[in-house]
Amino acid sequence: MDLSQYLEIFIDETKEHLQTLNDQVLILESEPDNIDTVNEIFRAAHSLKGMAGTMGFKRMQRLTHDMENVFSEVRNGKMSVTPDLVDAVFKCLDAVEEYLSCIVSSSDEGDNDNEDVIAALNACLETDGGSSIVDAVMETAVTKKEEVTSGEDKRKFLHIGIADFEKNAITEAKAKNMNVYGVTVYIDENCILKAARAFLVFKGLESVGEIIKSVPGVQDIEDEKFDFDFSMIVISSKPIEAVKKVITNVSEIKEVVLEEYEIPSDVEVVSSVQVEKKDENEKKEDLKKKTSAPAKSGGKPVANRSVRVDIEKLDVLMNLVSELIIAKNGLVSVSNQEDSKTSMQSFNEQIEYLERVTTNLHESVMKVRMVPIESVVNRFPRMIRDLSKKLGKDMELIMTGEDTELDRTVIDEIGDPLMHMLRNSADHGLESTIDRLKLGKPQVGTILLNAYQDGNNVTIEVEDDGKGIDVEKVKASAIEKGHITEEQAEMMSEKEAVELLFRPAFSTAEKISDVSGRGVGLDVVKNKIEGLGGDVEVSTKLGEGTKFTIRLPLTLAIIQALMVEVRNEKYAIPLNSIVTIEDILVSDIKYVQQKEVINLRGTVIPLVRLDEMLDCPPREDEPENLVVVIVKKGDKQTGLVIDNLLGQQEIVIKPLGKYINIHRMISGATILGDGEVALIIDSNSLV
Amino acid sequence: MDENTVVNGAKQYIVVKLDNEQYGIDISFIDNIVRLQQITRVPKAQYYFEGVINLRGEIIPVMSLRNKFDLEAKEHSNSTRIIIVKPENNAKIGVLVDEVREVVTLEEDSIEKVDYDEQGMNLVGVGKYNNTLISLLNIQGIIQELDV
Repeated sequence: MDLSQYLEIFIDETKEHLQTLNDQVLILESEPDNIDTVNEIFRAAHSLKGMAGTMGFKRMQRLTHDMENVFSEVRNGKMSVTPDLVDAVFKCLDAVEEYLSCIVSSSDEGDNDNEDVIAALNACLETDGGSSIVDAVMETAVTKKEEVTSGEDKRKFLHIGIADFEKNAITEAKAKNMNVYGVTVYIDENCILKAARAFLVFKGLESVGEIIKSVPGVQDIEDEKFDFDFSMIVISSKPIEAVKKVITNVSEIKEVVLEEYEIPSDVEVVSSVQVEKKDENEKKEDLKKKTSAPAKSGGKPVANRSVRVDIEKLDVLMNLVSELIIAKNGLVSVSNQEDSKTSMQSFNEQIEYLERVTTNLHESVMKVRMVPIESVVNRFPRMIRDLSKKLGKDMELIMTGEDTELDRTVIDEIGDPLMHMLRNSADHGLESTIDRLKLGKPQVGTILLNAYQDGNNVTIEVEDDGKGIDVEKVKASAIEKGHITEEQAEMMSEKEAVELLFRPAFSTAEKISDVSGRGVGLDVVKNKIEGLGGDVEVSTKLGEGTKFTIRLPLTLAIIQALMVEVRNEKYAIPLNSIVTIEDILVSDIKYVQQKEVINLRGTVIPLVRLDEMLDCPPREDEPENLVVVIVKKGDKQTGLVIDNLLGQQEIVIKPLGKYINIHRMISGATILGDGEVALIIDSNSLV
Repeated sequence: MDENTVVNGAKQYIVVKLDNEQYGIDISFIDNIVRLQQITRVPKAQYYFEGVINLRGEIIPVMSLRNKFDLEAKEHSNSTRIIIVKPENNAKIGVLVDEVREVVTLEEDSIEKVDYDEQGMNLVGVGKYNNTLISLLNIQGIIQELDV
């Protein structure tokens, strides 16, 4: 039976359960007596076990089974939650996660038995008077074995009640030298489509003979109203082996009990019971290998990336698409109109309608792609807990705004950088517990992870109350590593010095730990975030803490932009960064340190001449008025001097292709209505 | 099989003209040849890039072989073409040439390898065809240099 169609669901749900388990165990660690949590854990562990079993992942099943045992004891009050137990459970969760990642990449759970984890779990059981359950488990195992060995009980067909006409048919057949067999088929308990298997058995048997009776009835079997076995009486001219083969050819049959059938009133049959369990199992194994082989050969992850979408959102989409079709039809009918004056008017109406529909469509598609940031950050509490143990520092993670939504593509990429920053805060940011006490700070260090939406951006802040960044140390380290000269260091402002942290191969940690400090660090984070169209800022106060602020665009594909003209070239400036558009007199331009600035309603704003930045040919005569687009990044503002405003437009961002070197200030390109290409100005890089 | 498959050792080249010199581009790299269209300048890109064009919704950088080979700039004419080259999957680049002449098939023994060439990695060899010489462009080489 090919289970690959269920694999995706399995992977998704296992991830969910793992997340629940991680969350709940964390709660349990701080509140060992919380019975609701224990129940929750027990339920999740139980579902995990069941799912793993259904999918035939035996190792995973075994591991989760042991975990379930532990919590069943805890739930019954026979065990208390100890730190050792929590550790063992976390190890167990890691192991399950490992299985899962194996399954994701190859649809096979791998061959790590994780004996040590199982041993640790069982050790917890034994030390805390939980031995009874181990015995119980053993007992059930033993009884199971007994069941298996006693073939006698398996001949359920002996209990089939036979009506007179059936009796007649049997005797008649015997008179004709036909064979009458009693059959009991046991279907594999992991089988999902029992009815289909049973149907195949029936079909097979009908090809070699005639089924005169089955228990449960055919209708019930078709409706899957049976456990894992069913019995039949079959008349066939074929020898017993041939009939048996027909049945065993059907996959996922655990066991077939087949023998000559005598009408019960006759002497009891005790002869040759054929239990072919072993053969069957081997066959099954073969089959399994066969089915898993092709999946493996691809080498690609088996699971596709998927988003769960609220059905309501899909309905909205569907409605909008129908409206789009109506709008198109409207345009078609307008083009057929003869009177040019009215056609022009209705044409414009249709265009407006179309515009409204596409804007709504864009919005809805965006919403479909939006995922709460929770799906990324919810693994962090667990990580911080582990780090806390590993580094021997007391710390806690406080997260807010987990429901902030971001585009799926951004979400996928943001996990690693965030993790990196948290590790960074935990390792470099926070002082050791002893140092904290000495400094009179609270013993437990705090890391804040805060996310919120800000216009068309999402801001994520990672803040710690640790020692802050020692600017002098950073400078010294940069000089030592040859990033800057001493003169440069002298000239540097505090902000510039902190920016040094984002240079490649820069780490201020004296000791290299396996948590962080290997020199691949913040520069990777910065690159990644800039690659997503966002930016990172640091603010720090020595002795009080550090705050990293990550700003990310809500979406990557379509934005609103202001189209401007510089000489005869068209450029797009993302609307979300624009504050105002000003018309200023050239005579109002002042100079600060030989740089042009304007004083706009009390704020001094530096000016950037876009034509110079973009290497445009100089203007012949300077006009009296300049059009200035004021853009912002954080609290900083800059005025971009342009020639002409063209208007606002919705643009689709496209990459500029490989091979060509692109300056930081150009973030991409877009295709205008007439097919012309316009470059998009990344105003963040100019502020 | 189509006629692009040639007997072993022989390769097909598209012959293009820059001034009076003929260059050959291995046909297996070529995706498309398009007429000159509006090129949007990209500031601060490498000097030999003319800009980017819109090829059916895809934005493709266009380099000028003239600039690349430090030849004198020349007005685009009616015969100017952009050859869309695809050195690897999912990456295209346009090459601006004065004129596209023909497709030739060159046997391996009619190609002379060049050990040195003054333009660096740009050539793979010189082919002889009907008493004319064709400088064979090393597309990979040209692209790789761009990466630096």
